[in-house]
Amino acid sequence: MTNFHPDLELLTEYSAGSLPLAQAACVSIHVNQCQRCQRTAGQLCDLGASLFEALEPVAVGDDQLNAVLAKLDDEKPLEYANPGSTSKTPALLQRLMRGDFSDLTWSNIGSALRISYLKTGDPQHEFALYHIRAGGRIPQHTHRGTEMTLILEGGFSDANGSYHKGDFLVRRPGDVHAPTALQSEDCICLAVLDAPLKFTDWKFRWMNPFLKLRTA
Amino acid sequence: MLIVANTTDDEGNPLIDADGKRIDEWSECLTLIAQKQDRAAFTRLFRHFAPLMKAFALSGSTLSANHADELVQEVMLKVWQKAAGFDAEKAAASTWIYTIARNCRTDLYRRLQKFDTPLSAEDVSDSQESDEAFVVLHQKRSRDRIRGLIKELPNDQAQILVKVYMEGKTHSEVSGELDLPLGTVKSRVRLALQKLQIQLER
Repeated sequence: MTNFHPDLELLTEYSAGSLPLAQAACVSIHVNQCQRCQRTAGQLCDLGASLFEALEPVAVGDDQLNAVLAKLDDEKPLEYANPGSTSKTPALLQRLMRGDFSDLTWSNIGSALRISYLKTGDPQHEFALYHIRAGGRIPQHTHRGTEMTLILEGGFSDANGSYHKGDFLVRRPGDVHAPTALQSEDCICLAVLDAPLKFTDWKFRWMNPFLKLRTA
Repeated sequence: MLIVANTTDDEGNPLIDADGKRIDEWSECLTLIAQKQDRAAFTRLFRHFAPLMKAFALSGSTLSANHADELVQEVMLKVWQKAAGFDAEKAAASTWIYTIARNCRTDLYRRLQKFDTPLSAEDVSDSQESDEAFVVLHQKRSRDRIRGLIKELPNDQAQILVKVYMEGKTHSEVSGELDLPLGTVKSRVRLALQKLQIQLER
C-alpha cells in the first residue's frame, strides 16, 4: 500500500520536463507504479498540451515540410508491441544496470548497509541504490541538500513513521533521521541526492569529510 | 491571452464520424498515418503543428533558429514513426504530440550541453495509459475542463504556467526571472492548478 507520493509541485515540474534528470527518473519510476499519480501527471500533461496549442505559431516554410516528406520513406513506421516485461525491476532501472541487483557493485557501509551507485549522466545528482539488511539501522544522519527516496523492496521506519514498497519521500536540508529496515525483509531503495549526507551519529562522524557526491 | 484550438473543419463544423461521435481532426490524421502511411494527412498535421513546435522550440530558450528547425523536423518524423502507438480512444492527439515535442526538446538541450546519459527524456516520462473505461472517460472530461478553464485564468497565473511549461523553467528560475519571491511563484502555480481543478487524489 503506497501512502507517500510526490507533491503537486514536484509532479508539475516533472510533467513540464524541468526536473533534473536523476530526480525525473526517480519520480517516473514512482509514477509508473502508482495509478493515482499517473492520473494527476496525465492531467498536468494535458495542461501542457493546452498551453502548447495556445502558442503564437511561428511560420515554418514549405522547404521544411518537403525536407521532412523526403525523409519519410527512410523512416519505417514503428510497430508497437506491449512491453510486457516480467521482471519486477522497473524498466528504467534495468537500463542503468547490467543484470540484477545482485550483479551490481556494492560498497559496504558498516554491517547493515551497502550502496551501489548508478550512472544517469546527471552531473548534479547522485543516484544510488541502498540495500539495508532486515532490521538493520542506518546511522543517524542529516541532509545537507534534498534527498528523494523511493522504496523498491521491503520498507523502513524512522521517528516520523514507517514506509513501504512504492512510497516516495523527500527529505529537505536539516531533516535528521535514523531509518531502520523492517524486521521481516531486506529493504532496497533508490535515493537521489543533490548534496552528500552528513552523519550525526558520533561513531560515524569521522566519515563526513570523506562523503562526496558520486554522480559518476 | 490564451487561445485554445478547436476541433472543427474549415467551415467551422464539428467533425462527426459515422456513429455521430465528434472526432478530432488530428486524431483522424494520426490514425490515417498509422494505417495507410497517408502523406496528405501528415501534411495537414505538419501545417498545423509544425508552427506550434517551432514556437515551442524558441520559447524562452537559447536555441538558434537552425536548432529550432532541426527540432521541428525531428518531432514530425517521430510523429510519423510512432503514429501506430497512438490510441485515439485513450489519448488526445494534441497531448500525444506535445509529449513528443517536450521529450525531443529536452533531449536536444542535453545533447547541446554534451550530457552523456543512457536515458532519453522518453525513458523518464510517464507512458502508461489506462485501459479502464471509467479512467479514460474521467481523463477526457478533465481534459475538456482544463481547456475550458485555462482561458479564465488571471494573467499573472497564466504567465507563470507558460514559463514553467513552454519555457521549461523551474519555479526558482521563474522567480529569478520575474523578480518575484519563490513563494509567490509557487502559490500562483498552486492557485492556477486549483482553478483548473488539478489535484492529488486522496
